[in-house]
Amino acid sequence: MTELLIDPDIRVWVFLPIVLITFLVGIVRHYVSILISTQKKAEITQIQDSQAMIRARLLRENGKYLSAQSFSMRKNYFNNEETGYFKTQKRAPVAQNSSAMLTDMVKGNFINVLPMVVIGGWINWMFSGFVTTKVPFPLTLRFKPMLQRGVELASLDAAWVSSASWYFLNVFGLRSIYTLVLGENNHADQTQAQADAMTGAAMTMPQDPKAAFKAEWEALEITEYHNALKNIDADMLAIASAPAVSS
Amino acid sequence: MSLNYEKMSWSDVRDQFRTWREETGRHSEEVVQLWVAVLEDKVQKTGNERHLILEQVIIAALDTARFDIATQCTKQLALEFPGSLRVMKFKAMRYEALEQYDEADEVLDAIIAKDETNAAPRKRKIAILKARGRRLEAIKELSEYLKKFMSDQEAWHELCNMYLAEGEFGKAAFCMEEVLLHNPHSHLIHQRLAEIRYTMGGVENIESARTYYSQALKLNPHNLRALYGIYLCCNHLDNSRAVSSKRKELQKLGQWALEQILTKKTIVPLEAAFGNLEIKSN
Repeated sequence: MTELLIDPDIRVWVFLPIVLITFLVGIVRHYVSILISTQKKAEITQIQDSQAMIRARLLRENGKYLSAQSFSMRKNYFNNEETGYFKTQKRAPVAQNSSAMLTDMVKGNFINVLPMVVIGGWINWMFSGFVTTKVPFPLTLRFKPMLQRGVELASLDAAWVSSASWYFLNVFGLRSIYTLVLGENNHADQTQAQADAMTGAAMTMPQDPKAAFKAEWEALEITEYHNALKNIDADMLAIASAPAVSS
Repeated sequence: MSLNYEKMSWSDVRDQFRTWREETGRHSEEVVQLWVAVLEDKVQKTGNERHLILEQVIIAALDTARFDIATQCTKQLALEFPGSLRVMKFKAMRYEALEQYDEADEVLDAIIAKDETNAAPRKRKIAILKARGRRLEAIKELSEYLKKFMSDQEAWHELCNMYLAEGEFGKAAFCMEEVLLHNPHSHLIHQRLAEIRYTMGGVENIESARTYYSQALKLNPHNLRALYGIYLCCNHLDNSRAVSSKRKELQKLGQWALEQILTKKTIVPLEAAFGNLEIKSN
């Protein structure tokens, strides 16, 4: 395979601009999403529920330090068949199509999908058909559609990267740079947002208090009381008698 | 700690304030003095940290009854964040400090009406009740609050203290157990729980007290108070128990605890021992 020589102008006018554009778009996305996002207001019942869950979890984890009576008293408070907290608190499942959620979704689409389509389309149109760079290792033919989008050349080695593919590589690869520039939890990275959107169904599950209560109820139900301080008196006695023996 | 105010630059003061904030120490007098001496004119230079500093100074000023400073700082914040609930809280605190409790209550009610998930104004209302000496009402309110915010460790601790002041040791023990659940590795909480149990009296409670004292001592071998507690518990149980084998053990343990106390007194510097004795309610 003969070596290809790429015009340096491609580096200056295609390769670098694509990096710059993707990066700057990410920065703009970050600030736009900060600008238009509304702070989610939690309901008082939600807070109450989550705090009750925390308390139940702590009881499971650290209940061993209490006396048997104190432990079963608390367990009873949560799990009693008739009067237990997890049994009596009936919460309506979170309404799926409330207007607030809808606006959130529209906003999310607005900052996630729209730039993706617009900028992606524009880059495809503006910088189409350039071979921009080469990965420094050989690749099999299978990688051709991935790395050479927009350049359908059968004879081109698969290690070469086309401009459209370079754009996508940037979109997915700039995450750590954003973290560097904007700090953790930034809104610049759209791949993250898309991953969130895809797992959205799974994410709303814990928000459904009924299911969460049931899970916590089960976990607490199978927790057996085990006294962590059972041996402490004997331990102390051992410590107390040890120096007496040695001296 | 002695600070040389003349030699500190504004950035030194900023760093000092920051450490105090992070350590959640109030240092009210120092804060106010440093604010007046150094930082007041330079506060614009601190950037985004300015708001935090202003809040810190407001609280310090209220602590030291410098209402002029508090008002001025609150105004600065209010200019920047009109309608902010956080700033409203400071207004309420100013009323509180001036003992105008009804006005403070009104402001706090307004905050709660705007954002009912906000825990801070509810706590302040309870603090007002406590300041007015209506402890029973405060206990009632705090119980209501804890029904909603169950995992608020600080609130449980406060409720425990109030029950103790009322002499309701059983309920206080319950609250302390709740704190213990949140923080099972603190020897001070174990120790406090043991003290409550010991005060309640009765063989069962005192045995439980001995257990918790032992755990406290295990977590911190320098805990003199726990040692003394063990000694007292052993003595008490020794006098009430009839089983002779147990009695022997108890005598041994009590004797050991007493010896430890006597040696600790000389070996451990007093500061290290006494510095660890009190639970600091943060």
